[in-house]
Amino acid sequence: KGLRLFVSCHPFWSPVSMAMRQTPLTCSGHTRPVVDLAFSGITPYGYFLISACKDGKPMLRQGDTGDWIGTFLGHKGAVWGATLNKEATKAATAAADFTAKVWDAVTGDEVLTLAHKHIVKSVNFTEDSNCLLTGGNDKVLRIYDLGKPEAEPQEIAGHTSAIKKALWCNNDQHILSAAEDKTIRLWDKNTKEAVKTLSFDASVSSMEYIPDGEILVITYGRTIAFYSAHSLDLIKAVDAPASIHSASLHPEKDFFVAGGDDFKLYKYDYSTKDEMESYKGHFGPIHCVRFSPDGELYASGSEDGTLRLWQTAVGKTYGLWKCVLPEELSSENSEALYCPPAEIKA
Amino acid sequence: MRSSMKTPVSVLRLPRGPDPNSRGFDPNSPRFVALCPTTVPSSSSSSSGSADEEEQRLRAELRERFLRTLLLMTGKRVRFDMHEHVRVHARFGASDIDVLTLQVSDLETPLGVQREALLRCQDVIACSFEAREGARSVATV
Repeated sequence: KGLRLFVSCHPFWSPVSMAMRQTPLTCSGHTRPVVDLAFSGITPYGYFLISACKDGKPMLRQGDTGDWIGTFLGHKGAVWGATLNKEATKAATAAADFTAKVWDAVTGDEVLTLAHKHIVKSVNFTEDSNCLLTGGNDKVLRIYDLGKPEAEPQEIAGHTSAIKKALWCNNDQHILSAAEDKTIRLWDKNTKEAVKTLSFDASVSSMEYIPDGEILVITYGRTIAFYSAHSLDLIKAVDAPASIHSASLHPEKDFFVAGGDDFKLYKYDYSTKDEMESYKGHFGPIHCVRFSPDGELYASGSEDGTLRLWQTAVGKTYGLWKCVLPEELSSENSEALYCPPAEIKA
Repeated sequence: MRSSMKTPVSVLRLPRGPDPNSRGFDPNSPRFVALCPTTVPSSSSSSSGSADEEEQRLRAELRERFLRTLLLMTGKRVRFDMHEHVRVHARFGASDIDVLTLQVSDLETPLGVQREALLRCQDVIACSFEAREGARSVATV
């Protein structure tokens, strides 16, 4: 019944010290590169994951298993950004068809289409899900009141090149935006003025805001940098072996993970900045990586068109991963477990 | 050498992929049932229930009319008015269950006649055809 577990001939020196090798879970379905992903908060039905793809069909998945729930159909171009509200009841997407769309994340229905004058790259809900922030190639930040969708959005201009990412922060009183003009700007949402500007030598590749602790995670070149979201003061920075496209800080701030050009995922100790592990698995550059809201796993999206889920504590029973003790492996009564074979290079 | 000694973590199964026949969002999932109350009123509905009932009846009637229009269209030469001022003629075959795609034959395009083709409903604004001699019907998709 089911798959017989393949048991290798390794002797088990000691059950306690037996190290486990990370088994990433591959979520297939997209047909083109996955360029953005976001988790919801923890809801009574678990947590959820949305992925943005150049195939124009963003997908919703169950966060802890990667099981596909549905595909949001409607965009006519590559989807560059995707987000969920905390309760995972609403989704928003930003696309190359010059629109941002708001969706009912339970039914999959399109709720709102917000026309823009150029490619939209980033979307972000406020904590109460009442406002949507958008940013894209027309260099203007827009704030939409979702209770009054016909009303004109508030606009914040200032960036001199395409906006790549825009986020609410500091209790939704500030907006953080990163653009191709190699700056990150902190805006006061009421005065619409830039409170602070950070300039870099290279274009910022990703930005993550951690509300608890008000930390901003920024990647550019091979650097992963951590800033205070209030003052934009640098906390610390780490250089990786390859160009990094995205990084994420664990909710408990003990680790962070990063991925980029060399297809690998790196895991670092946040306090010591030491590289702890690196994982191969993707067949293309990694575009986005995020920790789940409970910190038990992180998801990566790649040029290879897949999403992969990785365990934070390798070997722990969680989601689809099962901790198997040595005695169980050779037992006749073992459940049908799938034990992946050794990596086969393509 | 050391890493090859490590046993890979076991998994119960692989993550489920998309269903090729639907866009998902299962209406029978616990989350859907809890968060999207049905519009069909219960037998013990209040006076506002009759307004819901009327709306439901009208919706059902409109839906039935739309489906009958699709049936009537089958095999007929239909004119499709689409975005970007595109207007094409084709023989209508069938629609898929979600009315996302229309199967047509002998699609007349500026590049020539396409024997078999699929039209995306989201691109179609309206279809019109002759239901019977001299009578033209228009359906907005």
